[in-house]
Parts: sequence; C-alpha cells; structure tokens
Amino acid sequence: METLLLDSTKFIELNFQAVGFLFIVGFIGGLVSGFIGSGGAFVLTPGMMSLGVPGTVAVASNMCHKFPKALVGAIKRFRYGQVDIKMGLIMAASAGVGVQIGIMIQQFILNRWGQAGSDLYVSLSFVAVLVIVGGYVMMDAVKCSRCGGEEKPSSLAKRLQKLEIWPMITFKTSGLRISLWFTVPVGFATGLLAATIAVGGFIGVPGMIYVIGASSLVSSATELVIAFIMGLGGSINWAMHGMVDIRLVLIILAGSLLGVQLGAIGTTYVREHMIKAVMATIMLVVAVSRAIAIPKYLVQLGVMEVSDGSLQLMSNVSFGFMCLALLTGAVIILGAMWKARRAEAAAMAKA
Amino acid sequence: MAQTTGGKKPVLKTVLYGLFSAALYAAAFSHGDALTALFSQGSFWAAGPILTVFVFSYAHGAFASNLWTCLGIEASRARAQKRAETRPQPRATLNA
Repeated sequence: METLLLDSTKFIELNFQAVGFLFIVGFIGGLVSGFIGSGGAFVLTPGMMSLGVPGTVAVASNMCHKFPKALVGAIKRFRYGQVDIKMGLIMAASAGVGVQIGIMIQQFILNRWGQAGSDLYVSLSFVAVLVIVGGYVMMDAVKCSRCGGEEKPSSLAKRLQKLEIWPMITFKTSGLRISLWFTVPVGFATGLLAATIAVGGFIGVPGMIYVIGASSLVSSATELVIAFIMGLGGSINWAMHGMVDIRLVLIILAGSLLGVQLGAIGTTYVREHMIKAVMATIMLVVAVSRAIAIPKYLVQLGVMEVSDGSLQLMSNVSFGFMCLALLTGAVIILGAMWKARRAEAAAMAKA
Repeated sequence: MAQTTGGKKPVLKTVLYGLFSAALYAAAFSHGDALTALFSQGSFWAAGPILTVFVFSYAHGAFASNLWTCLGIEASRARAQKRAETRPQPRATLNA
C-alpha cells in the first residue's frame, strides 16, 4: 500500500473553487444518502482525484466523511421510527466478511491482470450489477406508483419468511421474522460490492427490500447503520496508514451534514416508491457512466484501439454522467418533497 | 417518533451551535496544514481524524438540524402519525 506517512507534500493546496466543489458535492451526496441510504461516494472520490488528490487519499477521506454522515442520518431517521438496528448490526457483521473476500478477489485480479484488468473488472461489475438491480428496482417503482404508491413485500421475501430454518430472527421495526441464513447472504453481498465498487448500498438496500422483505423506508434507513459501522472500521484502517486528509473530510462534512438531514426529513413526506425511483434512476445513470469508461481499460489491456483524444472525451463524459446521476437524484428528492409539502399544507388549510 | 411542526423555533440553539461549529472550523483551518501533517503520521495518530470528525459532527450536525427547523423544514406530521399506526407488529413467540 502506498504510504503518505510524514509526507504532507502529497496533500493538495486548497483554493476557493476546490472548497466550493467539495462542499456542494458533499451537500448533494448527503441529501441523496439521507434519502436512499447511500450515494455520493461515486462522485466524491473521482471528483477529489480530479482536483489532484491521490487515489488512496481520496478513498480514505471519502470514507472518513461517510461514517459520521451516516451516523447523523441514522440518528435522525431512528427518531422517525425507520431504523432497524438489529438488522443493521447483522448486515454490517456479514458485510465485514464480504469486504474481506471482495478485497481478496480484487488482489487476485490485480496480480493476474494488472491495474487495467482490475479497473475493467470494477467497471464491468458496476455496469452488470447496476443495470440488473437498478432495472428491476425501476420496474418495481413504476409498478408501485401505478398501484397508488402502496408497497407490498416481494413474493420471494414472503416465501423465504415462511421457511422455518434455525436460527429464526424477529426484526421488530421491520415487522418481520426470517432465518439468519437468508439475512447473512444479503449482508455478505453488500460487503462484496462495497469492496468492489465502493457503493455497497446499491445491493444492500434492494437486498433488504426484495430478499428480506423490509419496506423501502426501513431498508434505506438501516443502510445508514451499515454504512456507519463499515465506514468507521474502514476509516480507522486508512487513518492508521496516514491516508486521511482531514481538511477535505471537514469541508465535505460541512455540506453533507446539512444534506443528510434534509434527505432524512424528505423520507417522511414522499410515498415509499419514491425511494425506489430515486435509487433506480441513480443506479441506471451511473451504469451509463461506467459503461462509457470501459473502452479506456480495454485499450490499456490491448484489446481495442481508440485515440487519446477520444479516450479523454469519454473520461470527461463518464464523470459528467456521474454528476448527472447525483444531481438527478437530488432534483427528484427536492421536487417530491416540495410537492408533498404543498399538498399537506393545502390539506391542512382545507381542514 | 417524528418531530412535529409548531411551537417556538430554536433560534438561540441554532446560533449557539452555529458559533460552536464555526469556531471549530476556524480553529482547524487556521492550523490546517499542521493538523493534516500530524494526522497523516498514522499508527496511534489515527485517533486524531476519527475523534475530530465525531466532535465536528456533533456541533455541525446539531447546528444543521436546528437550522432546518428554524427554516420551517421539519418532518411531515401526517405521514409520521400514519406510519406509526400502520407499522406491523412483531409476531408473538413462545419461549418454552
């Protein structure tokens, strides 16, 4: 691992533009995280790297801002009765194992095919998971909105809940009872994905909804508990290697703590299918972004040939789509919240 | 359960937590480079960034929460009550 111990020359000079960029992305990322349980990291890490921050420092600093943000969001949503702490703890423990296996797979690919191979694996995983899971969540969100926004547990979750395999666990907040053997794999997959594409919530939240059978509200709120535990563990690890740039962390945190609370408040206004709609939209736009980045790695592996200018253009377009994903999510959240607040105010005025 | 609208706005709390948060940020960034160099030494210095973000999240988190309340942006009363009523109850189990 690259070390920055006692080498502060690798930490960037901060200017007004960099501070503004980090604060705004922090705020929007926080807003999305507070609403769907995850998000922001996929723009923040490449965003920091585009400012000249070394990759490892960007990952470490992003993680170090993520866990306090998740904690604040989880506390806020716990007050709204949406957090299933027991589920969060079980999921986080199994995700911890998933992360370790994910790291092993990454190291194997890195040793066998080098950096370009590893990047290609990450991008392909990104696209495959986001298109399949995001597409399914989007279809469900559309179906749910046509039925008036009422959410029902999936047939898979209902079937799994009926299977009495020891040990059975009761999740009081979610109002369900299911075997540990169906809960652990969801957490494990979350960790595996977190180690691969750094956004475990994209599989964790749909997993809790469609496999375990929790509601979108509880799943997205519980994801914040998982993000807190995993982020804290990861941050301690990065900090022990001296990789955290505390200045970047504090600037992002200034924006994200404002955003995460607004996102959490937003969940009390919208219908549950909106959480699915926002998550699916972000996942599908991010999938497009990663798909555009794939040719770069294929060129590095010698599989295809593309001019440097085109590659640079693809790289910029890819980053643009990442920002678009986050912005679209934020606009949908704020729009839905504004509409619901207006409707509520009108209903109160009538009464 | 969800905080509801109405009542006095926590202006004083917002100002106090805002000042506390601003003071923390001013202190950290007036010694930004030194602090970054210190926390990048790794090993036991890892406690530095972890404790720092906890302190900042307390101050700035409380400020942010009160600020949204002052701006009139609070959890929906109607939805929160509805959810509390309809939340499914856990299945009764017998410990024999």
